[in-house]
Amino acid sequence: MIADWSHEVVLAATILSWFIIAAGLAQTTIYLLQLVFAGYALSKRPPVARSALLWQRYGDVAPPIALLVPAYNEALNVVESVHSMLALEYPNFEVVVINDGSKDDTLQRLIEAFKLVKFQRPYEEALAHQPIRGLYSSPMTERLFVVDKENGGKADAQNAGINVCRAPLFCVIDGDSILEPDALMRAAQPFIDDPERTIAVGGTIRIANGSRIEAGRVREIHLPRRLLPLFQVVEYLRAFLMARLAWSSINTLMLVSGAFGMFRRAEAVAVGGFTKGSMGEDLDIVIKLHRHMRDKKRKYRIQFIPEPVCWTEAPETLSVLARQRSRWQRGALECFFRYRSMLFNPRYGRVGFLGFGHILVVDVLGPVAEVLGYILIPAFWLLGILSAEYLLAFTALIFTYGVCVSVCSLILEEAELQRFPRARDLAVLTVAAVIENFGYRQLNNFWRVKGWWQYLRGNQGWGEMTRTGLGAAKK
Amino acid sequence: MWYIWDLSILLSALSLVIMLFLIARRLLQERQARAAADQRRQVLTALIAFTESRDREALKATMLDVPPGVAIEAGFEFISLLRGEERDDVLVAFNECGLPARVNRQLRKGNVADRIHAAEMLAALGSDDATENLLSALTQDRSREVRIAAAIALCDLGSLPLLATALDFIGVAGQRSRRLVELFRRFPRSRFNELAVHASRADASPFIRAAAIDALAHAGGFGFADFFAGLTGDAAPEVAAAALRALGLTGHAEAPAILKHAMANDDWEVRAAAAESAGRLGLPGLAAPLSRLMDDEVWTVRYAAANALRSFGQPGERLLREIASAEVSRSQRTASLILAEGPVL
Repeated sequence: MIADWSHEVVLAATILSWFIIAAGLAQTTIYLLQLVFAGYALSKRPPVARSALLWQRYGDVAPPIALLVPAYNEALNVVESVHSMLALEYPNFEVVVINDGSKDDTLQRLIEAFKLVKFQRPYEEALAHQPIRGLYSSPMTERLFVVDKENGGKADAQNAGINVCRAPLFCVIDGDSILEPDALMRAAQPFIDDPERTIAVGGTIRIANGSRIEAGRVREIHLPRRLLPLFQVVEYLRAFLMARLAWSSINTLMLVSGAFGMFRRAEAVAVGGFTKGSMGEDLDIVIKLHRHMRDKKRKYRIQFIPEPVCWTEAPETLSVLARQRSRWQRGALECFFRYRSMLFNPRYGRVGFLGFGHILVVDVLGPVAEVLGYILIPAFWLLGILSAEYLLAFTALIFTYGVCVSVCSLILEEAELQRFPRARDLAVLTVAAVIENFGYRQLNNFWRVKGWWQYLRGNQGWGEMTRTGLGAAKK
Repeated sequence: MWYIWDLSILLSALSLVIMLFLIARRLLQERQARAAADQRRQVLTALIAFTESRDREALKATMLDVPPGVAIEAGFEFISLLRGEERDDVLVAFNECGLPARVNRQLRKGNVADRIHAAEMLAALGSDDATENLLSALTQDRSREVRIAAAIALCDLGSLPLLATALDFIGVAGQRSRRLVELFRRFPRSRFNELAVHASRADASPFIRAAAIDALAHAGGFGFADFFAGLTGDAAPEVAAAALRALGLTGHAEAPAILKHAMANDDWEVRAAAAESAGRLGLPGLAAPLSRLMDDEVWTVRYAAANALRSFGQPGERLLREIASAEVSRSQRTASLILAEGPVL
């Protein structure tokens, strides 16, 4: 059949297919290498000590931390979240909630729950942000401060928090997330062990859907009952935990999640804080930190450690998940093109080659090549332009290697971390790791291509993130 | 391109087989964990009963009846809650049960977390051979965290080698850890001179020198005031700042002149430390240089200077009000902010 088509058509189809397969091959190779590096990092990492021991060991030398909690229309969760943050096990911390001009009664709920009173606190205006309308403190606890400001977005709110806080370290966390009681102590450990070089630390984000939550604490860990968040559990393991461990092991970590990351204040201020209006403010600040430290030729570490856990609510509907993924894609593209001069730039060493190379392959080219492959490769084969070899190679890269990478992530998790409490959970996750490659992965790539399109059209909206509230998460 | 397909099938199948094996292993572990939890409960019950009856034989019987690992973990957790005679009695029983030998083995053969924990347990158990084993960990363990833990444990047992020797064993990389602050804070008073020697070593890391100064300042008292005064002009800003802060705790006859001089230092950390100490010592004679520092380019220095003025009481507040009512400037804004700090009336 191939002979029926002109040489030019076959050549064009072959080149296009090779591009698609090469992109898939590059992506798969990166994932497999990530697994190898992550496995190595996990095997070398010291096993986890109990919380009580950590307190005994590090309690006296733990540096002060400010927990920055931007809140926009978080009335549903905010009081419970703040209660759970105030109950964290850490000797020296303050919680700074930044009400980013919420349209609902977020501030009112905080005022009522914590009997807040207006307060004056001198602070350095090191970073620009929308005007602050008022600072509040609570007579119930010295640890809580609330900043009420005009709306300016998440990055703007975080910058206001950085200005107001006084601790040398700050930790950003989403208003609807729940930190494990010992999360701060664990995340602070690299700042204790290597205080001169450590400038940022990221912890693990886990999905709380399905778990039993009481009084702002995850009491019993369960897997989500719905398929969509279940797939996200596997996805978080593969894309976040393993990938970040791998990149962290070679000091090329490009992303410390905005849902839970700890930073040294001085360096964050030196790079101008979070970039206002950015879709991927967490990726953006880490790239800026890499650039700043390398420009200054200073030794530094940006680390990911899997032990400190932050629980978050994963989207349960396709529409909300689609918006989230498109936004993440726009964030990645925006950062890639904003800092494109770092790509393959020898001045930035492995950050320029490996870190940016990874973003190029996985976030910039990856989704486009894959979606093109879904359409073109079967079409070329059906039309008889290409042989079955191409179709099989593409299928292997998408489906069978996909299964392998997802299951291997689960293997690493179980071999080294064992955070899922029951053997049954592992069995369920193994099934999910297989079937997520048939449908969910394709949907995800479609949303990412949509994100590409929105980026090209200059769409900068965050979209509404509808939440049911973690406190209301069903068993 | 067939190899892409073949390899993918092979790898996927292999990963699924490994996963099935891990699921089976987990089922086994779940059963073992349930048994360990029961044994742990058994040990804790026996320990609670011991604190009432002091029946050492009954306690020993229970401890020897469960796996040593469970006995050690539960036992160590329990003794951290005890003090005095009760604790000593339990420790004697632990020693008679041979638990220290097991902990020694953990110190040699466990993973890093286990070895650190073993060092801590050995310090608590205080067995005869604890020092020997901890010294061996300090000198030979390949993990710097374990070496630091061994040094802290040895310090608690009063058997730490000379500080310079111990730090050599800990290694250069380990000398960046804040855990050393913990070690210095536990230093016995009789060996403070070693801390002082280390703090004055120009070739040592500024971080460690500053930590030694902080430890001396908090525990050493006025006896080291001259020593701190001598280090306030150190070339390393971190060391000079630590010495100034220390001087703020101990005081010194020359403190006003030293602090005034430091307020003109090029490094902001030194200026801030000088301002902070002036406030802590309550030296209104330094009001003039402090009000100049309120125009400093670094917020931390301005804030420390304004706070120092405020700590002088009425004269300081008066000066702050004067600055706050003057023309708009950096000093004026700092003074206004400091005066306004507190609940809005």
